[in-house]
Amino acid sequence: MDIRLTEVTVALDPHRPPVLVGVDLGVGEGEQVALLGPSGAGKSTLLRVVLGAVPPIAGQVRVGGLDPYGRSADATRIRRATGIVRQRDDLVRGLSARTNILMGQSHHWRLTDWLVVLRGRTPHRHAAQLGALARKHEVEDFLDVPIEQLSGGQRQRVALVRALLSNPRLLLADESTSGLDPRRAAEALADLRRADGATLVVTTHDLAVARQFPRIIALRDGHVVFDGTTLADGTVHDIYGRQPVGVRS
Amino acid sequence: MTATTGVATQQRRQRSDPPPRRRRPRPSRWLLAVAVAAVVVWSLLQTDVGVSSLVLGRAGAARLLSGMFPPDLDNELLARVAAAVIETLQISVAALFLGAVLGLPLAVLMAANVQMPRWLSGGARAVATVLRAVPELLWALLFVATVGLGPAAGVYAISLHAAGLLAKLCSEQLEAVDPAPVEAMRLTGATRTATAVFGIFPQARANVASQLLYQWECNIRSSVVIGFVGAGGIGQALGIAMNLFRYQQMATLLVAVVVLVVGVDRLSRAVRGRLGAAAPRRDGRCSMWFPQSLRR
Repeated sequence: MDIRLTEVTVALDPHRPPVLVGVDLGVGEGEQVALLGPSGAGKSTLLRVVLGAVPPIAGQVRVGGLDPYGRSADATRIRRATGIVRQRDDLVRGLSARTNILMGQSHHWRLTDWLVVLRGRTPHRHAAQLGALARKHEVEDFLDVPIEQLSGGQRQRVALVRALLSNPRLLLADESTSGLDPRRAAEALADLRRADGATLVVTTHDLAVARQFPRIIALRDGHVVFDGTTLADGTVHDIYGRQPVGVRS
Repeated sequence: MTATTGVATQQRRQRSDPPPRRRRPRPSRWLLAVAVAAVVVWSLLQTDVGVSSLVLGRAGAARLLSGMFPPDLDNELLARVAAAVIETLQISVAALFLGAVLGLPLAVLMAANVQMPRWLSGGARAVATVLRAVPELLWALLFVATVGLGPAAGVYAISLHAAGLLAKLCSEQLEAVDPAPVEAMRLTGATRTATAVFGIFPQARANVASQLLYQWECNIRSSVVIGFVGAGGIGQALGIAMNLFRYQQMATLLVAVVVLVVGVDRLSRAVRGRLGAAAPRRDGRCSMWFPQSLRR
């Protein structure tokens, strides 16, 4: 699923400067991109713009040829084809890890599936895939544990399994490795990059993480300040002839 | 001076700061205070409130109070009082159940974060407004005329008003939940039902339960009041005793009302306290408002 942003400007608060200013970028089908920038650069907002959660005050957004701010059915199609893992704790306290993972699939359910989920079980249609993902990401031991009893790293893995369960064509990860130890972070990044044929956009403030991706887009103060490729030796080349700025290496 | 002000304004515009709020000039504040005081005094005078009216009525009050002592403790009366207390409790519980059955779905439809279609949430809001705008006493008069004297009229009357109140208060509780998990669910393309069931309700369940218990307290008080128009319970017995000038029986019934209201208030407060503590509980146990299976 490709992404095309044309001169997109976003203002979250009319009394403050825009969060994104004239952002013009495209991400091709199946491409893997790191969105690099310091806190407040506009990375998370850009992901929310892609999913139709923050309407731009100017510009055009197209995801897979669909307008997330056009018909509501188009926004729903985009969202159901997307898996998202966010830095913020998006999991619902008071529910088990299993219910948190499954609830993103509710649009597939019939009444019987609802009843199965409400009994704390996995509907037949998701059982095989959830089992495989749970084993692979080592969450099967705590699938039935309330989410508030899990560590930050365990929650991140639960969020990752939730995102992957829908076989997404677009995978968005917002600082998804920030709460993990180095080994888990590397594994999570590798898992994200292995998602078959999915377009992948990972936001990070860490240049070392960004360098693992074939393409880096750097944001600062809502502007795209770098859009380039990573070479085999780890150096980066910018289509504007500049180096990434304002980021921690 | 002008140049300095101009530069400051320009700088503020550049920073896009909102302009500072102007303080209301003092004379208009004084005028407002005088106007409010005048309305209060006018209302007190027009309703004949004052020490003189109390002094003039002292003979009636003395007759009433002296007539109430000693309270009637006849066994037959105590049995009737006990039955009336039980009927009041039954009215309050039945009205809470019906009020919740009607009010909670309205609350879900009204809550802005559930994002129901505007015509549906607007319709639910209008229904809830009408239900709570009509006082229980008026509903009771209507239902006494419809289904006759007795507790059924009380249950219908209280439940309709309670439904309107619960719809408003519980929708506010639903709207107050942490928006991050709700948005995350929505961004996965989850249906409205799933977002409400899994994203919103689990976060709000302790507060909604607390609201229901508080409504139960209110139902007890309301059932005493509407009993006077024949809608059953201890209020009806109290009204009959008053109309027949049986002041000693009235004293016994008043003591029963006070004991009942205070008892229910204490019980409800204790349970609400436990629910409030249970909301952020981390021991994995479930509260009564969400299936254990979803947590474990």
